[in-house]
Parts: sequence; structure tokens; C-alpha cells
Amino acid sequence: MKKYYVVVTIVALAAPIITLNAQEGRGGRGGAPITNVPAPTSPVTGNAASGKALYSTYGCYACHGYNGETGARAFVGRWGNLATEQSFLTFLRGRANVAPLAPSTSMPSFSDSALSDKQAKDIYAYIRTFKSSAPELKDIPTLNTIVDAAKQEKK
Amino acid sequence: MAKPHKTSVGRRGFLKNAAAGAAAGAAALVTPTLVEAQGQGTATGTGTGARSPGAAGVPAPTQAQIDRETGNVRPPVAVRTITRPGSDLMVQTIRDLGIEYVAANPGSSFEGLQESFINYGNPPNRMPEFITALHEESAVTMAHGYAKAEGKPMLALLHGTIGIQHGAMSVYQAYYDRVPVLMIAGNDPDFIAAHTAHDMAGMVRSYTKWDAEPKTIDEALVAIQRAYNEAITPPMGPTLVVLGSEIQKDNAPNAKIPAYKPPVFVTIDATRAREIAKGLLDAQNPRIAVGRLRTPEGVQRSVELAELVGASTSTAATGGPMSFPQRHPLCGPGADTTYDYTLGLETAGAQVSIIGPALAETAATRDTVHIGFGGTVPGAGGRGGGGGRGGRGGAPTAPPIEADAEASLPLIIEEVKRQLTADQKTRIQARIAKHASANHEARVTAITQAVESKRAGWNGTPISTARVYAELWPLIMNEDWCLSSPSNFSGGHHVQLWDHNKPYSYLGGQGAGGMGYGAPASVGAALAAKARNRIVINVQTDGDLNYSPGVLWTAVHHKLPMLTVMHNNRAWHQEYMFVEYMAGVRGRGDDRAHIGSTLRDPYLDYAKMAAGYGMAGEGPITDPAKLSAALKRGVAAAKRGEPYLIDVITQPR
Repeated sequence: MKKYYVVVTIVALAAPIITLNAQEGRGGRGGAPITNVPAPTSPVTGNAASGKALYSTYGCYACHGYNGETGARAFVGRWGNLATEQSFLTFLRGRANVAPLAPSTSMPSFSDSALSDKQAKDIYAYIRTFKSSAPELKDIPTLNTIVDAAKQEKK
Repeated sequence: MAKPHKTSVGRRGFLKNAAAGAAAGAAALVTPTLVEAQGQGTATGTGTGARSPGAAGVPAPTQAQIDRETGNVRPPVAVRTITRPGSDLMVQTIRDLGIEYVAANPGSSFEGLQESFINYGNPPNRMPEFITALHEESAVTMAHGYAKAEGKPMLALLHGTIGIQHGAMSVYQAYYDRVPVLMIAGNDPDFIAAHTAHDMAGMVRSYTKWDAEPKTIDEALVAIQRAYNEAITPPMGPTLVVLGSEIQKDNAPNAKIPAYKPPVFVTIDATRAREIAKGLLDAQNPRIAVGRLRTPEGVQRSVELAELVGASTSTAATGGPMSFPQRHPLCGPGADTTYDYTLGLETAGAQVSIIGPALAETAATRDTVHIGFGGTVPGAGGRGGGGGRGGRGGAPTAPPIEADAEASLPLIIEEVKRQLTADQKTRIQARIAKHASANHEARVTAITQAVESKRAGWNGTPISTARVYAELWPLIMNEDWCLSSPSNFSGGHHVQLWDHNKPYSYLGGQGAGGMGYGAPASVGAALAAKARNRIVINVQTDGDLNYSPGVLWTAVHHKLPMLTVMHNNRAWHQEYMFVEYMAGVRGRGDDRAHIGSTLRDPYLDYAKMAAGYGMAGEGPITDPAKLSAALKRGVAAAKRGEPYLIDVITQPR
């Protein structure tokens, strides 16, 4: 029997950018402030090693970066639907079963025929290994140089 | 008066003397169909429609033509002595127009002209200098990039028919980008039939602004001047002159180069100039929204006007060339964002907007098929510049005045100077000081917020695109630089991090969104930079480079100051995401979305590719800690006039 899930919230993990030239001159991407929401601590049942391969095979990196930190939809620090394994599954399945032709975001829908529960849990296990690689600003001389130069620009 | 066309060999009667042995060798290269057609005497005819089609529907070449094409001819024992070839006059005309470069992939239909480019004048091969292109698409896009950097055309020289079609995509991009590109195509009706046409320009007419095929040397010289004027007059665009091989080569002892008459630009009238000047001076907080102007002189005039009236300004400089300096003290929201008078210069949405004619309107008047996205109306985004962003908080907007903003600026400036009172001057100076302070604070706030976000993935592998732009900036911030390739696929981080203060700081998008633009446009920008102590930074997407990698050789051959930094995400990544989305919507999973949209199995090695073209470089770099040092080496090389390529394995976006 087909499973139906209730989509409570649809936030993060939403994805590809349908922009082509739309970003020209508007400030660049990657502009969202880094948030420091702690990584979830809920139980993980999947296999992270298997999930790593699936993360690549299923092109998750395309929008979320290879480390979940960069790209169109970074999620490290913005865990949202990734709070628990079940919420991740719910998010993946939701639009596939409810409104596959009219998704509320551009995140591809994943029905269980396209991605099994086991595969999804493996991906989740891999995602949960992600950590921020962002150093403190004081430890990045390049960025401090840029700020200092801007401060010194002629008024 | 035009000379009558000669028969197939005619002017090349010497071909009859070609070595018989060579002919035998050539025959072996000819298909049975062509041999049969040739035997029926269906060689090229008059060039005006009298050809008999061969079995394949096109006239077959004669043996003499084949010999020539395959390099089996010998120079004639005696030839006509040409003391003043028409092509010398053509080159002099082009030189007089200030054309710096001519880019071409060689073609026999313009051999007369090419010989003049490289040998005529003292010194020869200067103004213009002959630039060797490996493909006509590259040649035209070089001209596209050059024009965006300098605000004036260079020349692309195209072989008859086949060269035009090779270059067609680039012509289309330049047309859509409203960029002036001057093109000349050769036409040799006596040679290979497939390389000539009754209406040579017809194949690109839908997306060129103007074309001509003069029949005499005198007409040709006028046409070249006209093509130049048409190209630089709004709506700017590519123009094409088709020059027959006869008038290139024939003696022209009595021809004279006509006196050049600069184009007349449509400006606002004096009454409107007075009104605008009064509006700017009477306002308590005027605003000038600057879009994309035509030339650096126009940018300079916009700065002069803003400073005269103390107007805060907006700019399109982070989206493309020829706009207001981004870090000018008056550029930004200013001390007060409630503007009581707004003037738009090539932008819509202001209280008074001056906008040049739309290319779409020009196209609509032609009896040809209009090709376009329908977005070339002013302010609709065809120009990528600031439309509708200048009038916030001000009075209601009005329909734009159709005139050239740049040409209108001197009239407004003159009126401002005439009307400006001492009291106003004092008030304006005080306002400028407030705006400058507020804009500086806004800038510091914005950059502080921006660098916070750029920390994300800073030490990650593959390397974040933000880090690529961030590491570049300290290395070039004190140089005269030009960012040449579109940055939308590589995150556009320069918009927040870099200062776009020159008319050529950032050259913007492709025009029509076609790939294969970035590398050749960068070479064009580097041609502009070469004599101006400027360096070009080309953040190059991998998919784009593979359309025309031969331009790397051109950059090396001509010693161009260009640093190419690969945004190597090993895909046509936008398309990859599109396919993923489609597969996801259809519930089929994304595990096959890479088919046809990624560059893997094997990965391309761009440092080796560069080396193959003679370009120094390094990579692939995957360790972010090694990036800065590599970029330093690259910037140093570019400053020495040695193009350099760094292959960086990057995050997808």
C-alpha cells in the first residue's frame, strides 16, 4: 500500500536554481548568513558509507554542495527537515506523493520507487556526518584584508 | 561601375598551367558524384544564379578549383602588377576609424584583404593588428568582448558562407547583447560554389543590424564607414560588409577614401535638457539611476553630472560594463533614500528616463524573420542593467524618453552649469558629504556581512566558489583589472567582494545565454587590455571553454595579459540540475541525470589542455590551501603578458 506522509513544513533542502542569468548584478549567491543551529542528535540507522555513494549518484551535491555547506541550498547549520531520520523521509516523499507535478519547491521529489527507504536512510546517515568547515573570521586573513580595504576606501 | 564576373577560372587563368601530376592527386580526393558533375561541365558560372546544380544539388568544383583548394597549384609565371590594390584602401579606411584589431580564421575569399592587413602601411599590421583566430565563432566573440571592454568595435573577418555560418552564433549573441561588432566577409564567386552566395549576408541578417555588399571599391569604402557608424549607433549591434574578392584585388589607382562623417545620435531636445537640469537642481534629494551606457566617455559624463548636482546614484556596474563606478562616494543609497527627483540613464522606472531605441523595434521594421527572446525592450532585462531600480521612494515614474542617454548628457550638464547658483552649489556640496559618509558606512556594513557568508565551506574540498573570488581580490585590488566572463554560474561573489569602478570592471553575461562565450570574449577583453597596462581575469566555466578552447592558443600567440581560473565543476551544471528536477518531478530518481550533462569518465585536465596550446598553467587544484599561491603566480604571469590557466576543482555552485 502506498504510504502517505503529512508535510508539516517545507523549508530547507529545497533546491535547484532556475536562474540562468537572473543573478547578474544582484549581489552574488552564497550570501545567506551562516547559522549555527547545532547538528541533530537523533538516532541514525543507515549506513553512512553507502550513503556517501548515493549522495553522489543521486546528485544531491548538485544543489547542496559536496559538503552541505555551499551551493544553491546549503543545509549545514540549517538542519530544518533533517532534524530526524523520519522527518527527512517525510520531506523526501511528501511532494512525490502529494503533488508531484506541482511541487512547492524545486527540490526533486523522491518516491519510494525512485529511492528506497533504506537508501534514503543511508543518505541521511551520510548527511549527518557533515560539519561546518568554516573557520572563524579572525582566522581567515584574506577576508579580513577585504574588509580592511573596504574600510579604508576614500570617503 | 562593377566589373562583370568572369568565368570559373577567368582571373585565375594561370591555373591551366598547374602541374598535371598535382591534378591527378587531387582527383583522388573527389567523390564519384563530383567527378561526374564536373565532367558534365557544371563548374561555377557567373555567381549570379546561373549555376547548374550537380548531382548533390550544388555546382561541382572544376579541376582547377580543386587543385587550388588542395594546395596543388603553382604561382603563375607572370601576373598583373597591382600597385594600389583596393584592399589597401579598405585597410586604410579601417585604420582611419581607429580599429585596433582584426580577428580572423584564414579564408581564401579575403586573401587580398588579409595581405593588405599584414603588409600595407608603415608600420604594417598595426591599427589594426591581425589576430589569428582558430574559429570564426571565436573571432566574432573576441570582437564582442573587446567592444564591451572598450565601448568601440574591432573587426572580425569572415570567410564567405562557411565562415559566416561558423560565426553566426556569436553574431547572434552580440546582437542580443547590443554590442557593436564590425564584420567583413569575403565573397569569391569564381571559386568554390559552396563558399559563395547570392546574398551572403542573408544567413545572418535576422540578427545583424545592418549589412551591405558593395560592388565597387568606392562603394566598399563608404560601406565600411557606414557599417562602423551603424554598429556604434543605438541600438548598437553587429554589422556586416561583404566584399567581393575582385574589388579587394583590383587596382584602384583613382579611388579615394571618402571623408568620414561621425554618426548623429538622437538626443533629448534643449527644452527637455533645461527641465531635467532644473529638476535635478531643485530637488532636495535627487537620484540618478545609471544603466549601461555606450562608452567610457559616457560613464565619465554620468559621474560629472552626479557630482555637479550631488545626486546619489545606482549602478549596473556589477552586472555589466559601462556604468557608474560602484565605489564612487555618490554610488549607493545615500544619506536619505526618499528621492524627490529621479533621472534614469538607460534605465526605466525613473521619473525621467532616457533610453535608447530598442533593437526589437529595429528588427520589427525589417523584412526578415525576427529571432530573439522578445526581451529587448528597454528595461526588460536584455541589457542586464539596473532597470527599474532607480526610482524607489521617489515621484511616480513616467514613460521613457527615447533618446541616447550618453549623447544627451552633455546637454544636461551644460544646462546644469548654466542654471547652477552659488546657494545651490553650497547645498549640493553638503549633500555630497552626507551621501559619501552614508555610502561608505553602507559599504562597510555590506562587506562585513558578505565575508561572514563567504566563510561557508572555506576549507572544504572541492573548493568553494566564494573562496576563489575572495582569494583573487586582494591580489588584484590595486591593479587595473577586468573580469571578463559571466559570473552567474560561479556564484557571482565579486558583486559583493570586489570594487567595480571602471567601465570595463565586469563585462556581464553572454548576451543570448549561449555557451562558448567566456573564453573568446576574455581574449577580446585581453586584446583591449594589452596596450593599456590592464589584466583580464577570466573565471572560466568548464563547459563553456570546451566550445572554443583554441582561443587559449590565440592568447598565447598574441601575448595577452589574461589569467584564466577554471570553475571546474565537471558538468554543464545548470542543465544537470534541470534534468535532476525533471526526473524528480516524474518520480524516476536522479541516478541517471548525469547522462548528457556532466563531463566525467574521463575528467578533463585543463592544465594539460592549456599546455597543449602553449599556455602556462597548473592544476587541477583541489586543496584550498594551495589556491592563493597559485593565483599569485597566475596574476604575476598575466601582468607580464603571459596568459596563465589554473584548473580549480570547485563546488558545483
